[in-house]
Amino acid sequence: MSVEASHMAIPISADRTRRGSLRLRVPKVSRSVLLSMLTIAVLLACWAIVTEMGWANELFLPKPQAVWAAFIKTMTKGYQGATLLQHLGASLYRILTAFALACLVGIPLGVLMGVSRNARALLNPLIEFYRPLPPLGLYTLLVMWLGIGESSKLSLLFLAGLPGIVISTIQAVTSVDPVYVRAAQSLGATRRHLLFHVYLPAAGPLILAGMRISLGFTYTVLVAAEIVAASAGIGWMIWDAAKFLLSDVVIMGLIVLGLTGVVLDLIMRGIAKLLMPWA
Amino acid sequence: MKRFVATLALATLAFTSTLRAEDKPAKVTVGYLNLVNAQLVTKHLGLLAKEMPGVDIKYVKVGGGGDMLRAIAGNDVDFGGLGNPPTAIGATRALPIKGILVINMLDYVESMVVRADKNITSLKDLKGKTVAAPFGSTTHYLLLQALKDEGVDPASMKIIDLAPSDIAAAWLRGDIDAAWFWEPNLDKAVKNGGKILVTSGEMAKRGYPTWDIGVVMNAFAQKYPSYVEKFVKAECEGIDFWLKNPDKTAEIIAEELSLPLEDATRMMKGTGMVPCSKQLTDEYLGTSVKKGKFVDTLVSTADFLVKQERLPKLLPRADFEAFIQPAYIEKVIGR
Repeated sequence: MSVEASHMAIPISADRTRRGSLRLRVPKVSRSVLLSMLTIAVLLACWAIVTEMGWANELFLPKPQAVWAAFIKTMTKGYQGATLLQHLGASLYRILTAFALACLVGIPLGVLMGVSRNARALLNPLIEFYRPLPPLGLYTLLVMWLGIGESSKLSLLFLAGLPGIVISTIQAVTSVDPVYVRAAQSLGATRRHLLFHVYLPAAGPLILAGMRISLGFTYTVLVAAEIVAASAGIGWMIWDAAKFLLSDVVIMGLIVLGLTGVVLDLIMRGIAKLLMPWA
Repeated sequence: MKRFVATLALATLAFTSTLRAEDKPAKVTVGYLNLVNAQLVTKHLGLLAKEMPGVDIKYVKVGGGGDMLRAIAGNDVDFGGLGNPPTAIGATRALPIKGILVINMLDYVESMVVRADKNITSLKDLKGKTVAAPFGSTTHYLLLQALKDEGVDPASMKIIDLAPSDIAAAWLRGDIDAAWFWEPNLDKAVKNGGKILVTSGEMAKRGYPTWDIGVVMNAFAQKYPSYVEKFVKAECEGIDFWLKNPDKTAEIIAEELSLPLEDATRMMKGTGMVPCSKQLTDEYLGTSVKKGKFVDTLVSTADFLVKQERLPKLLPRADFEAFIQPAYIEKVIGR
């Protein structure tokens, strides 16, 4: 969507006020950053006020200071045998491995399904069937099949990430302008040339958008994946702390998860800019 | 439209005020633990419904203490049951609950099972093995307590957190070497290459009794004190039925938990039932004037959890004494 929109926007405004729009853009960005910071500040202030005034039960909503203290304690002394960085490392290992596998399988699959109608017909039922299944329901079966070790956890995360990538890759490939394909073909491009010089570069930005969404999905099932027989990981830490009603650790863990998610997304956008400057 | 809303509001007001006049809850939700005890009898025979005619009674099955704590914290139940570690957590965290009766004492219905072919004859042989227990439960507490008593470092083995049903599945797959958990799932491990190493009953003799206690939400108890008595009365009748009619009880347990009759009979024998009159002795709840040994268990369990860094601080003994309320049983017995 955003790709199409920018294509539409450039020819209209570019010639007329290119300099003007550039000058306008700089304060615009900082303004949106300021607004974003305002949102965060208001949220923090509300949190502080609600807890300071005693409007919320501290058992469910601890003070910001308590969450900060939990953060410091987990960073330095750890939670149940592992420091915060070790928990984070265990989770990131699981997320990134599963995500990389989902990309390795999902992108070729998506390209294949995008280019070939037959492949799409063959594989679509499979993906459409399991995509809406609740991860916890799926997980009980995965645990019985694959055991309580890493393989069941990685599989769940992999299965969560896969459909997003496949579907957006199909979309990306099918929305490549046929004019590009025909132009390349008339210049004598082979199927291989078409794939690497036309389809993938043209579809790249949309595929990447799909990868970002899919990474988000992988994140959403992390806690579910770490409920069974984990002894490290942010998801497990949150789950274990909830059993002992340690809500400061729960909230701290969620914030850490959220922030690392944002950082990973920024990294992916950075990589996109490097790989696909035309986007 | 306005008139309709007004009539509706008036009708609701009239309805609720009649309810208040009768001092009767519209609905009572009982969270019960999925294990072998007389609560299943009370439920099966509809004893609670007999005590509370006209009240919509809802039973909710809860997997373990951790889930029960969340159900209580989320205000999803009126009555619940907790083992002593979750009770210590709930009391320390000032959850709005009170302990009102002994649901059961845990004997060999809860045990540590080890793989028979792995040559494990003592806790020391667990080094390098994978051991499972539901974290935060009575068995997790006993496992760590037993390791500590025998001087075995918990870090020398892999202790993992699994729900009882997941333990059974992991056991059948061969993923774990030992587990401390409870019936009805314990049986699946025993029948598939397992042997019992320690029972919770043995740990009780060593000074670490584990038990489940029935709790009521404070708000409910304040609003409907007579209904708390009715609840206790129904549970006491269930316990009496269990003690007087073991054969019929076994049939009920077998039906409720989908077990063969002989398994239900054996599991029943591994569970200690305390008649309500005996619950007021020093061994259990004690009386309103002088609280019994349950307070000691709670204090030592909480102390243990503080050392485990799973509780922030140890509360004074008085707080645990205030948690236990034998007053309702006293009234039921006094009748």
